[in-house]
Amino acid sequence: MMEEAGFADVRIGPPVDTFGGASGEPKARRFEVYGFAFHARKPGAAK
Amino acid sequence: MTDHPPEVARTEQGDQVKPQLPVDPVILREEVKSKYREVATHPDGEYHFHTGRRLARRLGYDPAVVDGMPDSAVEAFAGVANPFSLRRLEPGERVLDAGSGAGFDCFIAARQVGPDGRVVGIDMLDAMLARSRKAAREMGLGNVEFREGLLEAMPVESGWADVVTSNGVINLCADKKRVFAEIRRVLRPGGHLQFADIANGKAVPESALRNVDLWTA
Repeated sequence: MMEEAGFADVRIGPPVDTFGGASGEPKARRFEVYGFAFHARKPGAAK
Repeated sequence: MTDHPPEVARTEQGDQVKPQLPVDPVILREEVKSKYREVATHPDGEYHFHTGRRLARRLGYDPAVVDGMPDSAVEAFAGVANPFSLRRLEPGERVLDAGSGAGFDCFIAARQVGPDGRVVGIDMLDAMLARSRKAAREMGLGNVEFREGLLEAMPVESGWADVVTSNGVINLCADKKRVFAEIRRVLRPGGHLQFADIANGKAVPESALRNVDLWTA
């Protein structure tokens, strides 16, 4: 979706167990939900 | 700033173009407001997610930085990962935090960009804006401001931002394509989008996707 929106050089960080130990953990486990960091650039002149 | 943007686009002939969204954006927005108003006023309450310092530790924020922040700046933090983990901000950068909540990531950003940089946090909730402004005053941060607005129509001029950050908010927006288009608008060419959000490895049933109550549960 990010590339469709016009972003480039998309990077994704390792998964983070955001919900571990919280009451939302069972549902997170059921759907394999994790937190991620994303980085991308808007194409253009300067990097 | 508080007016909702039109949710239905029109063709040049004036016909409605309804995007295929799983839930009504306005109804979802009210659900999100209800949940996070509670977090703003009762950050120590019972939620399905962690909050505050314990969460910041879990997500890998630098303890030396977080420990130096007052409780007012940390206790209602409700992010999902660390948007600064793949790239540290550079001094002097202009940063827009989309869905700034209690302001925690804005305060982290303010420290990284320094006095020559600038940070603008956008949030739709009065309670979060009041909390973040109060914390910024308490920390004496002169390079941070908070504005009321929606991710679908951010009150920032086109091309203003060197960097857009966000943390756990885009997943709560029904029309993600529209949000990414708006982020692209406010970024300068070559600018950075660095955000954190959740993603699921197993498909969520269609019926659950269309149940607005489950989006914030």
